[in-house]
This record gives sequence, structure tokens and C-alpha cells, in this order.
Amino acid sequence: MKKFFTPFEKLSTAQLAVINGSWVAALFLFWYIFGMASDTHLFPTLGQVWEGFLGLYNEGLVVHVFSSVWLCLRAIFISIFISLFISYLSPIPLLQFVSKTVSKLRYLPLTGITFYLAMMINSGRTMQIWVLVIFMSTYLTTSLIGMIKDIPQEEFDHARTLKCNRWEVLLQVVILGRVDYVLEIIRQNLAIVWMMLVTVESILVASGGLGFLIKNSDKFMNHGRIVALQLVILACGLLIDFALVKTRTVLFRYSKI
Amino acid sequence: MNYSLHNTVLFVENLSVAYDDRVVIKNINFEEKNVVIDGRTTGQTIAIVGRSGRGKSTLFKALTGLVQPTAGSVLIADTTRSDINAAKAVKEGDVGFVDQKYTLFRNKTISQTFEFALRHKNMSKAEKNDLIKTYLDSWGLEKFKDQYPCELSGGQRQRTAIIEQILSSGHYMVLDEPFSGLDVGNIESVKKSFRLITTQHDLNTVIFSTHDIELAVELADSIYVIGYPTLNGNIADYGTIVKHIDLKKMGLAWSEFDSQHLQLVKEIKEAMLQS
Ligand SMILES: Nc1ncnc2c1ncn2[C@@H]1O[C@H](COP(=O)(O)OP(=O)(O)OP(=O)(O)O)[C@@H](O)[C@H]1O
Ligand SMILES: [Mg+2]
Repeated sequence: MKKFFTPFEKLSTAQLAVINGSWVAALFLFWYIFGMASDTHLFPTLGQVWEGFLGLYNEGLVVHVFSSVWLCLRAIFISIFISLFISYLSPIPLLQFVSKTVSKLRYLPLTGITFYLAMMINSGRTMQIWVLVIFMSTYLTTSLIGMIKDIPQEEFDHARTLKCNRWEVLLQVVILGRVDYVLEIIRQNLAIVWMMLVTVESILVASGGLGFLIKNSDKFMNHGRIVALQLVILACGLLIDFALVKTRTVLFRYSKI
Repeated sequence: MNYSLHNTVLFVENLSVAYDDRVVIKNINFEEKNVVIDGRTTGQTIAIVGRSGRGKSTLFKALTGLVQPTAGSVLIADTTRSDINAAKAVKEGDVGFVDQKYTLFRNKTISQTFEFALRHKNMSKAEKNDLIKTYLDSWGLEKFKDQYPCELSGGQRQRTAIIEQILSSGHYMVLDEPFSGLDVGNIESVKKSFRLITTQHDLNTVIFSTHDIELAVELADSIYVIGYPTLNGNIADYGTIVKHIDLKKMGLAWSEFDSQHLQLVKEIKEAMLQS
């Protein structure tokens, strides 16, 4: 028992399962008791959440989920493309300024960007994508520049001694040598996009998506529905996260990040 | 053994290296000539010894063209010209280098690493594969050829790093502490590889650093001690060459380790302790 409280102690898988199981049980118990006790019903009971979930399902939750995930994927794809291009060129002295500036732009406020985008784009869906792309690109570029900076000098020197010219060094050490890091960086920034996505969807309302559902549920003050939706969004995010980790470790055996 | 000295293979003149204003090595001068022994191919084996932090690795980075010296120059033989005395300033890629940490490509298996090292060599695919196979077998890496650096032991990584540079480099090869962390068998295979390199071509030159002075005396035909010099009774805080031992001249090169060698080891250790 004392082991459970010892820092850095390694426990067996079975012991860990017991501990984690107890936490989940405690969570539900707490929820149950809290839901019973409060008459204000500030927080919905499990039953209400389940009802909310069924309601959402009948209104085509699955379609909305796919619509959001698809939006997310498109935004990630475009922005990783832009960010990779910018950051892979950042070791070139002449272009360093560009990558650094893009990285700094993450302090720009969202509203200003949407204002200008609204003048250029009229489709709601396209608009959502570009808001996300602009945001994502700044964060991804920041992480990618950091990744390149963290490569030890020895790795560059090693490539140089093998008769690699500087472009080959860039290709071998940075681009090929760190592909797996790119997946990891996408994963780490995914939480920001996913959160932004739902917000963007609820601000710039287009047809459907999880953000749209949240906005609708807000109107009716339906607590069960809102919590159910939150859980669905959380689960989707975690699922994409998990998929990215799996992809990385399966594709790149050497990737022990 | 009768030998003669021919053209210069390595000429280091007034070399200084500083990292942001901090001078690490200064005024390093030495010259190594092509050693020729009639009837056999003899390359050069040069050892650099000195206490920790005296600038051995820094000197090596300058010798391999990886850092720009703040003063002075490093010249190597220019084999692309027909003139026997042609020399050129060293630049990155001219000299093979195995660094102290045995850095490898993290995303290449041992086989892929060797294929990459051979990419510029004028050989057929089959010849390359044969050569790689030979190295894998004789260095005990056959079983691990499809593993990535993160799946190898320290010694396996080190051997991979050494072979990689042997495959890629021309006549010059610099190894920073190639013997540290190896078991007795591995030490023998590194020694054997030194012999192999230096018996393949007259110009082949192996430069290595080590903290094992016995090994340096046993293998090298020229030893440089790098340390802090004593100037007017004060010890300076930059490294330079404080002692040079020419084992060829002393008749100790290419011979079995005996009491004379042992005496030399003592002498070198003494010089190191004082710098
Ligand atoms: N990249 C660097 N930036 C600044 N200082 C450095 C750098 N590399 C080495 N030094 C300094 O230069 C000095 C010499 O270092 P170097 O690595 O050449 O020593 P060394 O003789 O190889 O030591 P060891 O036997 O421990 O490997 C040290 O004092 C070190 O702090
Ligand atoms: Mg060193």
C-alpha cells in the first residue's frame, strides 16, 4: 500500500488497473451524489445526460461529428503544409525572418482575422477552414522551429562529415530525420485546433458541426444535452489524438519521443 | 625498421579556436609527413592525448573542417591534383570523423547507414552489398543490421559509427575516443581496423584521441600531448601542444609493446599531469 504513495515507484499493470478503475468509479459516484443532492440541478444527472445524448443522436449527431472531424482534418492538412514549408526553410539565413514572424503572429487576436477574411470569403465553411488554418499555422510553425532548434549540433556535424552538402544535411537530418516529430507536433497542437474548431463553428455558423450543436443546445438551457455534447467532443479529440500516436509508433519504429 | 618521410599529409599552422571569445586552443603547430617503408604500405597513426577539457575534441572539429578556426589553418594533401606536394585547406566532408557520442542517423538502420555512407562510391550495387556484408560479419553486427540506433547498445553504435566513416571517408579519419566503453573483443576489432586502414594506402592517416595512454603508445607512430602550457610560471587556460613524441624516430613504432614503451607511457602521463 505504501508503494502507492512512493514517487517514481513502478507498479504492476494489475495494480495500476485497480487504481485507475477506482478513480473512474469515484468520479461517477461523485457525479451521482452531487446530481442527487443539488436541487438547483446546476449539474445534470447521469440520466439527463443519457437523455441528452439520445436526443442528439436522433438529430444526426454522427453526421455532425464527421462534419467537424472532416473540417479539422482539412484545416490541419493545409496548415501543416504551410508550416512545414516555412519552417524547413528557416535554416536559410535570408528566410529566417519569415518563419520567426509567422511564429510571432500567434499573438494576433482572432476577431481581426475573421473581419478581413469575411471580406474575402463568403462561404461559411471555407471561412471556418481559413480561420483555423491561419491560427494553426502560427502554432505549428512555432513548434516546428523549436524542433529544428533542438536538434543537437552533432547530428548536423555527423551528416557533414559524410559528405552531405548543406541541402542534403537539411534533407537528411531535419526533413527525413524528424518526420516522426512532425506527427507528434500535430498531436500536441491538436488540442488547440479542436477547441478552436468548436468555437469557430459556433461563432461563424455554417451548416452543422459540433459547434453548431453546442450553440443550439445553449439556447434551450438543456444541461443534459450540453454535458453529453461536451463528452462527445472530448471523446472525439482523444480518439484523433490516439490515432496519431498509433500512426507514429507503427510507421516509425525508431520513434521513441 | 627503415622508413623515410615523404610529402606532407597534414600541416597545422598556428591554429586557434575560440567559442564566443573564449579561446579554447591556441597556437597549435604540427606537421605529419607521409611515412614510407619499402616493400609495404604504411599509413600514419597519430594519437592525441591530454586531460579532460584541454581541447582534444575542439582540435578534432578544426581538423575535420567542422568549425572555422579563429586563426591559423589546417592543410591536407590534395590528391585530386597530380603534383605530389599539392595541399588544400581542409573543409567539411574531406575528413571522416567519429565523434565522442557516436552520432548516427536516428532514422536509418545499420544497413541503411552503410548504404548511405557508400552512396558516392564508384561501385556496383552488388559490390557495395558484398562490402557491407563483410563489415557486418567481421564486426559482429550481422544480427543487428536491421535495427535502428536507439535499439543498439553503446558499443554496437560505436562500431557502426566507425564503419560508416571508413566506408565514406577518403584518406583521413579522425576518431574521438574510439576505445572508450568497448569490451576487450571490440577493442581488438577497432585496433584491427586501424591496421586495416593504414595498410590499404600510403596516404591513409588515422588520428585518434584516447585516455588510455598504453593504447596510444602501442598503436601510434606519433603522439601529441595537448594541455595547458606553463608560461612564466603560470598555467595558461587554453590548450596547446605541450609535448610531441615521434615513436618512429625512437624506434618504437610498429613493434611489440615492451619496457621501452612502458617507460614512454610514464613520461607521457607525467607531461599530462603537469599541463
Ligand atoms: N560548443 C562549445 N561552446 C563553448 N565551449 C565549448 C564548446 N565545446 C567545448 N567547449 C569548451 O572547450 C573546452 C575544451 O573542450 P573539449 O571538448 O575540446 O575538451 P576535450 O579535451 O575533448 O575533453 P574530454 O577529454 O573531456 O572529451 C572545455 O573547457 C569546454 O567547456
Ligand atoms: Mg573530448
